[in-house]
Amino acid sequence: MQILAAIRTPFTSMGASLASQAAADLGRDAATVLLAQTGIDPEELSEVIIGCVCQPVDSANIARVIALRSGVPKNVPAVTVNRNCASGMEAITTAAERIAAGRGDLYLVGGVDSMSNVPLLYRPTAVQKFVHLAKARRVGQKLRALLGFRPADFSPLIGLQLGLTDPYSGLNMGETAEVLARDYRITREQQDAYAVKSQKKAAASRDFFDEEIATVYLGGKSISADDGIREGSSIEKLAKLRPVFNRKTGSVTAGNASQITDGAVMLLVATEQKADDLATRYGLEPLGRLTGYAYTGCDPRSMGIGPVQAIARANQLTGLSLDDADTIEINEAFAAQVLACCKALSDPSYCQLAGLDTPLGEIPMGKLNPHGGAIALGHPVGATGARLVLTALHELANTGKKRALTSLCIGGGQGAALWLETS
Amino acid sequence: MNHITLSIEASVATLTFDRVGSGANVFDKQVLTELESHVTAIEHDDSLTGLLVRSAKPSIFIAGADIKTLASASSHELAELLELGQGVFDRIAGLKIPSVAAIHGACAGGGCELALACDWRIVSDARVTRIGLPETLLGILPAWGGCTRLPRLIGLAHALGLILTGKLLQGSAAKYKGLADAICPEEDLPTLAYRFLKRGKRHMKGRFLEHNPLSVAVIKRKARVNIMTKTRGLYPATLEALDVVCRGVSGSHEDSLQRERNAFLYLAELPQTERMIELFFLNERAKKLKPDVAPATAPKRLNKVATIGAGVMGAGIAYWLSTRQKKVILQDVSDDALARGMMRVYKLYQGSVKYRVMSQTEAARGFDRITPIGGPIPLGDCDLIIEAATENLAIKKKIFADLSSRCGPDTILATNTSALPIRELAESILHPERLVGLHFFNPVNRMKLVEVVRTETTSPETLAAAVAFVQEIGKLPVVVKDAPGFLVNRILLPYLLEAGNLFSQGVDAQAIDDAMLDFGMPLGPIRLMDEVGLDVALHVAQTLAGAFPDRMSVPDILTRMIDANLLGKKSGKGFYLYGKNKNKSPVPNPAALALRDEARDDTRGVDMAGRLAQCMTDEAALCLEDGIVATASDIDFAMVMGTGYAPFRGGPLRYSDDHDICLGKFYT
Repeated sequence: MQILAAIRTPFTSMGASLASQAAADLGRDAATVLLAQTGIDPEELSEVIIGCVCQPVDSANIARVIALRSGVPKNVPAVTVNRNCASGMEAITTAAERIAAGRGDLYLVGGVDSMSNVPLLYRPTAVQKFVHLAKARRVGQKLRALLGFRPADFSPLIGLQLGLTDPYSGLNMGETAEVLARDYRITREQQDAYAVKSQKKAAASRDFFDEEIATVYLGGKSISADDGIREGSSIEKLAKLRPVFNRKTGSVTAGNASQITDGAVMLLVATEQKADDLATRYGLEPLGRLTGYAYTGCDPRSMGIGPVQAIARANQLTGLSLDDADTIEINEAFAAQVLACCKALSDPSYCQLAGLDTPLGEIPMGKLNPHGGAIALGHPVGATGARLVLTALHELANTGKKRALTSLCIGGGQGAALWLETS
Repeated sequence: MNHITLSIEASVATLTFDRVGSGANVFDKQVLTELESHVTAIEHDDSLTGLLVRSAKPSIFIAGADIKTLASASSHELAELLELGQGVFDRIAGLKIPSVAAIHGACAGGGCELALACDWRIVSDARVTRIGLPETLLGILPAWGGCTRLPRLIGLAHALGLILTGKLLQGSAAKYKGLADAICPEEDLPTLAYRFLKRGKRHMKGRFLEHNPLSVAVIKRKARVNIMTKTRGLYPATLEALDVVCRGVSGSHEDSLQRERNAFLYLAELPQTERMIELFFLNERAKKLKPDVAPATAPKRLNKVATIGAGVMGAGIAYWLSTRQKKVILQDVSDDALARGMMRVYKLYQGSVKYRVMSQTEAARGFDRITPIGGPIPLGDCDLIIEAATENLAIKKKIFADLSSRCGPDTILATNTSALPIRELAESILHPERLVGLHFFNPVNRMKLVEVVRTETTSPETLAAAVAFVQEIGKLPVVVKDAPGFLVNRILLPYLLEAGNLFSQGVDAQAIDDAMLDFGMPLGPIRLMDEVGLDVALHVAQTLAGAFPDRMSVPDILTRMIDANLLGKKSGKGFYLYGKNKNKSPVPNPAALALRDEARDDTRGVDMAGRLAQCMTDEAALCLEDGIVATASDIDFAMVMGTGYAPFRGGPLRYSDDHDICLGKFYT
C-alpha cells in the first residue's frame, strides 16, 4: 500500500488556540487541505477511515461527519476505528487490509482527537435522579424528585480522567508509567534528561514541522505552529516539578510525560496501481509504502512496554531488523516508557521481563525520534499514530533515506509497530 | 377555461388551483369569476362539511394578482377587479362550513389574501413555501382584504411589520408570527388539513390590549417615524397602507375594505407606482436573461469555484457562493488576510442565523463549503475562478498568468475588478475566450446586481455560462461591454466627484447627503465614498479620469484625505467620524473640513439634488451612446439594483424622460 500524501493540523495544548474546534472540525480542517493540496477528486475515494479515541457524543461515527463536511460525496462510506492510542495507525492498517482484500483502491485515513472537548459527566446516581425527574408528571412527584438531589450529584466526573484510566487494572496511564520506571529502574534524572532532549529536538525542528502542518484559520487568526514546544526547557526546570501520579516517591511529572493536546492528521493511501494512475494524472509522488505491521498485547499494568513485542513481531513478519531502520519513531507517552522500551529491546537482563527471549538490539539514540515527540508536541490520542507515520515519512523524504520504523504503546496493554519504506 | 377544479370527497370540497398553460397560479378577472362560481356551488351544497384550498403546482400556491393585468387596467377596470376579489373572498370567509388553505410554495399577495379569508392556514416546511403581502414593494397595497384581515389575525404590530416591508415568510416564521396555524411536510398537508376542518369555524380572539385606540395610536406613530426615517416618506404606498391597516382594526369590515379600494385606486394612478411595476418586470427579465449571442450548447453549470483574494469582496463572494451550495476554495497570498476573510465569512453566517435567514446547521454546512488555503495548490477541477485581489493591473496580470498555469483548460477565469480594462488580462492567460468580468457590488450579500463584463475575447459559451451562474446564485446579471468603469461605477463616479467638489467648495457634507436622501438615494454620496473607502474610490476615479480626461478629474480633496490617512469607514475616519456605536449616526470629521480649499459656499439656492442627479443622467446617456449596454432600461435597472438609485424614479434615464433633463426621450 502506498501512502500518497499526509498533513496535520498544528498540535495545540488542551484549552489553547484550537480548543473551540471540535474533533470533527479539526478533522475537516486537515482533510479539506489535504484534498485541496493534492487536487484529488474525493469522488475517487473508496472509503474514509478515521481513528478517534475521545469520540464526541454528538458525532457517533465521526469519520462520516468529517467525510461529509470535507466535501466527500455522500456515496463514499466512512468508518471510525478505535484501538485507543493506536487509533491513527489502526486507520492506516485497516485501509491496508481493505486493499489487501481487494475491496478498494484509494482511502482517506487519519486520526483526530480534541482532548479539550472531552465532557464532564454526571455520576450514574445523579443520572438516575434526572430520569426520575423527567418521568415525574404531577407537581408533587416533581418536587419529590427534586428533593432527592444531593450536592454530590452535581460534582462531575472528569471524562478525560476516566478516558486515561485503564478500567481493567484500575491504573491511570501515568501510574502504568510509574510501574515501568520501577520495573526497569528508570530514574527521575534519566526521564528528565530524555524529556529535555525531546524538547530541544522539537524546538530545532520548527521549519521541519511547518512543512507538514495545514494552517487553521480561526477567530481572525491563522494558527500554524505547535504550541507545546518549550524552547527554554532545561533539566533544572524539570527537576522542580512534583510527581503527579505518585506524589511521595514517584518520578513521572508533567514535564517528562506527553502533553494533553488537540490535533488531527490525515493521509491518502492507495494501491500501487492507483498510486501510479494518480501520479500520472495529478503529478503526485507517493511518500512511501507500508511494508508490514503488527499489533500485540501485554499486561495493561505495564502497557508502556507494548512496543517491544510489537516491534519483535513486525520484524519477524517483514524479515527486517532494527539495523534496517534509518529513522525510528516511538511515541513518547512517557519518557520512562520510551526508556523502558529501549532497555527491554537491548538489555539481556530486562528483555525477558518484556516477553523477549533475547534482545533485539540497540536503538541508536541518533535515529530515535529525531524531531522530538509527544513530550514536546503533545499526544492527541487518536491522532498520534498517524502523526508518527507522517513524521517518519517526512524525515525519510528530507534525508533521502529508505526505511522507517514507527511504534507506540497502547492504553489497555498493547503495542503497535509499522515498517515503512520509500521507493 | 378551468384554472380551478372543484372536487368533493367524503363531504369535503377541495378547490385545486392549476392555471392552464402556465407554471404559476395567478389571479385575474377570469380566475376570480371562476372562483366565484365554485363558491356559489359550495354555498348551495348543504351536504358539505368543509372546504380545502390547495394548488397543483409544484412550487407555487398562488403567486398573487397578475401584475400585467394590473399594469394595463384602466381605473374603472381596477375598481371592478377589487370589488370582485373582495366579494369572493368575503363569501369564502362567510361560508357556514370551515375552510382551510393548505399552502405549499409561493403564497404572495392575492394568494395570501385568499388564505387569510379561510378559517385555517397550514403550511409546508419546504424552502419554496413563502407567504406574505409584497404589494407595497410595487407601490400599491393589499386590497383584497389583506390590510383588513391580517391585523385581526396576527395583531397590528406584526401585520404592519409584514405589510410595510413586503417581507415573505418561510413556513416556520409564518407559524411563529401566527400567520400559519401549523407546519408540516408537504406530503402530510391533506391529513393535517382534514384535522383542522374538524375543529370547525375559527373563533377570532379579541385583541383589546393591542387594538384599543391608545395602543393603535402608539403603534401607528412609531411605525410612521420608522417609515419617515427610512424612506423620508417618498413611498406613498407604505404611508397609505399604514393608515388603512391602523384604521382597519376598529370599525366595520366593510368600511375598511372601502378604504383599501380607495387607497389602491389612488396609488395605482401615481407615476411612482408605474416605475416600481416597471422595475418588477425588469427584475423578472434579468432572472431569465440569456445573452443575445447564444452558444450552440446549454451553458455549463459551474459548481466548484475558487476565489482569489480574501478581502471584503473576496470573502463576501465566497460567503454568498457557499450559501448557494457552491464549493469554494478561498486563496490569498497572506495568511492573515485569509484569517480575517474567514472571520468575515463566519460573522456573515452568524448574522444570517441571528436573523433567521438560515438554521444553525445550514450555516455550519455553508461554512464547511469554504476551504481557506494558501499556496499554489492545483485548481484543475475548478469550474470558475473569481479573482478579487488588489486593484492593480500589474498584480492582476501576474495572478492571471499563475492561475492559467494552475487551472484546467476550460476553467472560466473571471475578475471582479471594478474599473480596470479586462482585455489587458487576456494576454496573460491561455485560451482567452474563457475570460470574463464578474463585477459584484459591496456588500455582496445585499446587492443583487452583478455586471457580467464581456471582453472582445469572451466566447459566447463563457458569457452564457457566466450569466447562468449569476442567475443560479440568486443575483441579477446585466451584460456590459469591457470599457473603463463598465456601467454602474462609470455613471456613479461623476456624481461622487461632483459631491466631492461641492464639499471642497464649502458645502456641508450632511447637506449634500441630505439632499440626495431626499431625492431617494439609500445613502448620500459623501457617506457612500466613506463606505466604499476613499482609496477604492480614488482608484476608480483615476482609471476613469485617465479614460475620459475631458470630463472627469480627481478632486484634490480626495488625494489630500488619503494622504492624511482618512480612508473612510474602514479606518474610522473619512468625511465623517465613525464611533464604536453603530446605531449612532456619524458626525462630520473636522480633519476633513480642515483639508478643504478656503470654504466659500456659493451654492445657496442651487438645486443640489438636481445638479448631482444630472451628473448620473448625463453619464448614463453617454454610456448608452457608447453601447456599454443595449437599452436604456438596462441602465436604469442596473443603477437601481447596483446603487439603490431611487427605485420610484425608475433610474437616471427614466428620471430624465420624466423631468426633461436631457434633450429627447430615452424611452419611446
